[in-house]
Amino acid sequence: MSETPRADFWFSVAITVLGLGVVAESLRMPRLENLGVHPMSAPGLTPGLIGFVLAGLGVALFLRSLRARTAATSAAAPREAGAGEAATGGRRLLISLVLCLIYAMVLLGQLPFWLATALFVFAFVLIFTWQRRKAAQLAATAAVLAIVVAAAVTLLFEQVFLVRLP
Amino acid sequence: MGALGELAAAIGHLAQPMSLFNVAWATLLGMSVGMLPGLTATLGIALLTTLTFRMAAGDAILILICMYVGAIYGGSRTAILLNIPGTPANAASALDGFPLARAGRAGEAMGLATFGSFFGGLVGTLMLALIAPQLAEFGLRFQSFEFFWLAIFGVVISGRLTAMNDPIKGWIAGFLGLFLAQVGQEGIHAYQRFAYGSVDLAGGLGLLPALVGAFGFAEILCVMRQPGYETVRDMGGRVMPRIRDIAARWWTIGRSGVLGTTMGIIPGVGEDMGAWVSYAAARRASRVPETFGKGNTEGLIAAETGNNAAVPGAIIPVLTLAVPGSAPAAVLLAAMFIHGVRPGPLIMIESPSFVFEVAAMLFWASVAILILGLLLTKPMLVVLRVPREHLMPIIFVLCVVGSFAIASRVFDVWVMLGFGILGFALRQMHYPMAPLVLGIVLGGILDKNFRRGMVLSDGSLEPFVTRPISAVLAALTVITILWGLAPVRNTIARLIGRPS
Repeated sequence: MSETPRADFWFSVAITVLGLGVVAESLRMPRLENLGVHPMSAPGLTPGLIGFVLAGLGVALFLRSLRARTAATSAAAPREAGAGEAATGGRRLLISLVLCLIYAMVLLGQLPFWLATALFVFAFVLIFTWQRRKAAQLAATAAVLAIVVAAAVTLLFEQVFLVRLP
Repeated sequence: MGALGELAAAIGHLAQPMSLFNVAWATLLGMSVGMLPGLTATLGIALLTTLTFRMAAGDAILILICMYVGAIYGGSRTAILLNIPGTPANAASALDGFPLARAGRAGEAMGLATFGSFFGGLVGTLMLALIAPQLAEFGLRFQSFEFFWLAIFGVVISGRLTAMNDPIKGWIAGFLGLFLAQVGQEGIHAYQRFAYGSVDLAGGLGLLPALVGAFGFAEILCVMRQPGYETVRDMGGRVMPRIRDIAARWWTIGRSGVLGTTMGIIPGVGEDMGAWVSYAAARRASRVPETFGKGNTEGLIAAETGNNAAVPGAIIPVLTLAVPGSAPAAVLLAAMFIHGVRPGPLIMIESPSFVFEVAAMLFWASVAILILGLLLTKPMLVVLRVPREHLMPIIFVLCVVGSFAIASRVFDVWVMLGFGILGFALRQMHYPMAPLVLGIVLGGILDKNFRRGMVLSDGSLEPFVTRPISAVLAALTVITILWGLAPVRNTIARLIGRPS
């Protein structure tokens, strides 16, 4: 039995909708008969098959998650012992996600690569180690790491590996 | 010259200073990647592929193979010292490795794991040199019908074995991968599927950005969500095991090497199963099975031999059928294509020496883990003392640069971000990643061969089930599906009179 029946329920709905959507989209794809090609080489054939299987698997997961939810409702679920830890983990996750997205989607392209990278590393280290040491020492560590990483990655990739940077 | 002669010649040919230098640094880097919780062999190879794609093909593939071998081995250190598998392939090693470390025998455990990995690599390399030419010749009989079933079987068996308790999730991950591979221009009529006028989508979702996202960004999010792991200060005891301790386990090493390589050959199953199957076999064969999980050195050796033997095993189908045996092997396959190498059944006709060159690379990588693993045991503990808050932003920067580097497309960075978030969500819901990766790799093979087969048979499904090899693959697929269904398993168990 699944350990995540609630998530399974919603994900099964998403997978079923995706599968049906893929089937519908595949049927809409041209058969290219006007080009004189064999109808069995139509571009929608394989995606249609995959969409059909995905929808079937989604339905199977949906039915199973319904049974699991019923079972979970009948047996009163005890409150999770590590709720506080989970909340802290959730906060760390959210902050990491936001910082990474800001770096990749906002800073890169607006600022030179080395500057965007230095700012990202500095902010990441500073935020996640804030409570551990004195502010000045912390800022110095974060700044040194940020400068070293930005310089090393820029030089290494551009000069040694001859790779273009974003 | 026979296969072993060819292998010996290739090993000698590769023993050049520059090649050995590349072997040393790439294996060391791989060991570091493997040691760090959250960094896997797949991510290491994917990132290194983006960095080495301007190098000569031989050098780049050597470096990637050393990263692969080093990472699978390096993960054993973390499993032994922290009870956290450095890579998923080392989960079985933690069962006995960590109790040994707690008993003050961490050094001995790391030494035994090193020898186990070395011998596993050797057995696998030998089997690669012997089996790959035969399998490639056999693969020449494959036509569209067989490749269609191979793709389906790969996804089904991978989904089944990587999600033993919940095969539906494994299959969903696999078919999701197959679908994602359909996005973009298809290979027969150049029709743009699911592109909706976007030039970027018409180019398809790049395998490497997708893998960097699913194994890099997703892991960063997973690691940052978890409470911090404790760093290690003391490894205790001697590292070099006694010769008689190793010699006494020759049968376990041989059996685990063969089992690990065999598991590696099965598409998309890979090193994790290589370790688990070898561990289970060692436990079954042991006179004291009750000591397994409590610090039995035989269990540790079996797991480490099995996972490192699975590396050459996973490369065998890459070379001979262009079908990866594991997620890291999928990246290696992509890297080979990037470097103009065309693996597949024609490999022994077009470039017969390449198989033995790859085997020689694996041999030197195994030698490197033996030497570096024994010499650098204490210095390498420094890697585990790097705080994750310092490491993760650096990894993310590498993920961004790595995604962008191959094609200089910002879209690839978005693909990486998208797959990272998708991969994180799937992990939280206990979906395995290997079938997803295999699906993305096999999607193109499935599409082309299904439609070609249908054209060849004029729309009839008959050849898909009547040609001998097709019929065997179809039967194996059906058996795998039925084996994954609990009601079927329960019925069979009732019929033979024992619990499933």
